[in-house]
Amino acid sequence: MHVKDGVLKYGFVGPALIFLIAFNIFPLLYNIYLSFTDAELSGGLARFVGGRNYGVIFDDTRYGVALCTTGLFVVLAVAVELVLGFGLALALRGPFWGKSVVTTILLVPMMLSPAVMGLYWNFILNGHYGVVNQALAVLGLFQPQWLTDPDLKLLSILMIDIWMWTPFMMLIALAGLNAIPPHLYEAAALDRASNWTVFRRVTLPLCSPLLFLAVLLRTTDALKQFDLVMAVTGPNDRTTQTLSALLYQVMFRGYKIGLGSAYSLVILLLVIVLANVFIRYIASIQAKQGRDVA
Amino acid sequence: MVSPHRATHKRETPMPFLELQNLQKTYPDGTRAVRGIDLAVDEGEFIVLLGPSGCGKTTTLRMIAGLEDPTDGQIVLGNRNVTHLPPSQRDVGFVFQFYALYPHMTAKKNIAFPLENIGTSPSDIDATIDRVARALGIEALLDQYPRQLSGGDQQRVSLARAMVRTPDVYLMDEPLGTLDAEHRLELRAFIRRQQLALSTTAIYVTHDQEEAMSLADRMVVMEGGKIKQTGSPPEIYNHPADLFVANFVGSPGMNLIDGQIVQHEDGLAFTRLGANVHIPIHLRVAPPRAILGIRPEFIRPANRGVPGKVVLGEYLGSHAYVHVDTPLGELVMHAPDRFAIGESIHLRLDEGRVCLFDPDTGMALARSAGMKDVKLYGRSISQN
Repeated sequence: MHVKDGVLKYGFVGPALIFLIAFNIFPLLYNIYLSFTDAELSGGLARFVGGRNYGVIFDDTRYGVALCTTGLFVVLAVAVELVLGFGLALALRGPFWGKSVVTTILLVPMMLSPAVMGLYWNFILNGHYGVVNQALAVLGLFQPQWLTDPDLKLLSILMIDIWMWTPFMMLIALAGLNAIPPHLYEAAALDRASNWTVFRRVTLPLCSPLLFLAVLLRTTDALKQFDLVMAVTGPNDRTTQTLSALLYQVMFRGYKIGLGSAYSLVILLLVIVLANVFIRYIASIQAKQGRDVA
Repeated sequence: MVSPHRATHKRETPMPFLELQNLQKTYPDGTRAVRGIDLAVDEGEFIVLLGPSGCGKTTTLRMIAGLEDPTDGQIVLGNRNVTHLPPSQRDVGFVFQFYALYPHMTAKKNIAFPLENIGTSPSDIDATIDRVARALGIEALLDQYPRQLSGGDQQRVSLARAMVRTPDVYLMDEPLGTLDAEHRLELRAFIRRQQLALSTTAIYVTHDQEEAMSLADRMVVMEGGKIKQTGSPPEIYNHPADLFVANFVGSPGMNLIDGQIVQHEDGLAFTRLGANVHIPIHLRVAPPRAILGIRPEFIRPANRGVPGKVVLGEYLGSHAYVHVDTPLGELVMHAPDRFAIGESIHLRLDEGRVCLFDPDTGMALARSAGMKDVKLYGRSISQN
């Protein structure tokens, strides 16, 4: 049967288009609409309230605290994951016996669901029967209350996130390192560069576009941090309430759909702005070097 | 003829500047890339390592640079045993076939890099880059990134980077291999001029015999990880040590004819299918069989001589290579002009330029001594 190109065109694009409109564009537009209403999960007629929800957000002290918590979480998690991941990648770069086994084991944390990981770590870090504190007890050391001490709760979540996502950084850094042509290292050795100079002036700049990409992906992901908070402390803990946790609390515990929609748009805006800054930076590096890294 | 053999010079210090002693490289997979190389290079000499791919020439160069660790043997550079030293502790400048420029640095930064590593002051770096860039004609390109440059310009930058530090020895690994014909000739002349001007020792690797002959003070022809012959380009060209060199050097290679050696009434003669060639070579013991080698340019059309029929002509403007079917076999002749295919002609072989090889070992039996001191026989070709 002969199908006209014009028909075929829509046949290929159509399903994706319908999916995009149904699950992305319509919900986004509907979300924007809801953010200007006082819609509630309990039902009832939603009334248009103008920008009132946005006013509520900026008056809400919880919002400021959650913003700080999220910011702190993102900066610390991404920074530590970057340094550890890049370090691991440098260590794993050369050939050694058992390399593939070691690399596979290191990737395991990344492959598990964050919600499941949160529950596991709940057991591991439990103040009474957790394996960590039992080990500390055997060694005669101080046993911190990882999950209940207000000063430690965020740190515990950070540690879990770092444990989970360092392998991701390592994986991307490893790809970046492997993409550096070996003859550049030979040239650098012949040019009498010290190991530190080679790292600083060859390895790091050539790897940096991919590292920035990894940082971008991790940052946008960490900004939305929700699963670990939910699993470890619950969404309404003052010291660990991230923006997403606050959003969940408002929307699904407080039933305030309108206000929650406004919260979600604020988070979305934040992510878009940050992502754009990163993407522009990566693009500027690539334009200069003329390389296709990402 | 330039022949910088040590033995011919009287010197205070008989030590060569660079010496390879029984140099060997066997890779972990068992490949024996280099099987014992002995070579002594004088200061200021331009040495070309020539051979087909896989002959061990690049591995040899990389061992001199310190990029490969020799399995056996020694490398002595400027009275210092550098055999197992890392590249940074040898004073060598290396030019890679594929440029190996740092893609994230401008041409200027690339050239400055080796100087920065040895702590040269910024003002000295600028002055040196200015000088080298002018010599290479790349002043206008200094602020460009490698990917913005053509292959030829990238290789200029790469040459500049190898030159700025004025190393003890330049090592060049087929630097012109990837360039187009025009840039290749231009850069080839530049490399030679620059090396002569600075009289820096240079080792240059190529598989292009024409490039080798045009650049070298001394050529080293390699095959199968071993040196086949070392000598000045005319020595290699006119007196190949064996059949491999005879065939590999020269384009087209030497005509090689398998035949019998017979005692002629007035000397040694080579004969095949009734055609005879006189040979002004004196052998103590003449073997019954031999392979005769003669270059295309020492075969000329003549009124008398070996009869033949033109089977193919390759016209190249300034001259033509004419393939002629003769009793001696198909011979390639360097002729001033074209011949019609099928034309019957006679060929005269310049017997003063004939080489003889042992058909079993492939080694040269004896070399006719070259044009100057060869006694030419009155009658060159006799027919029956």
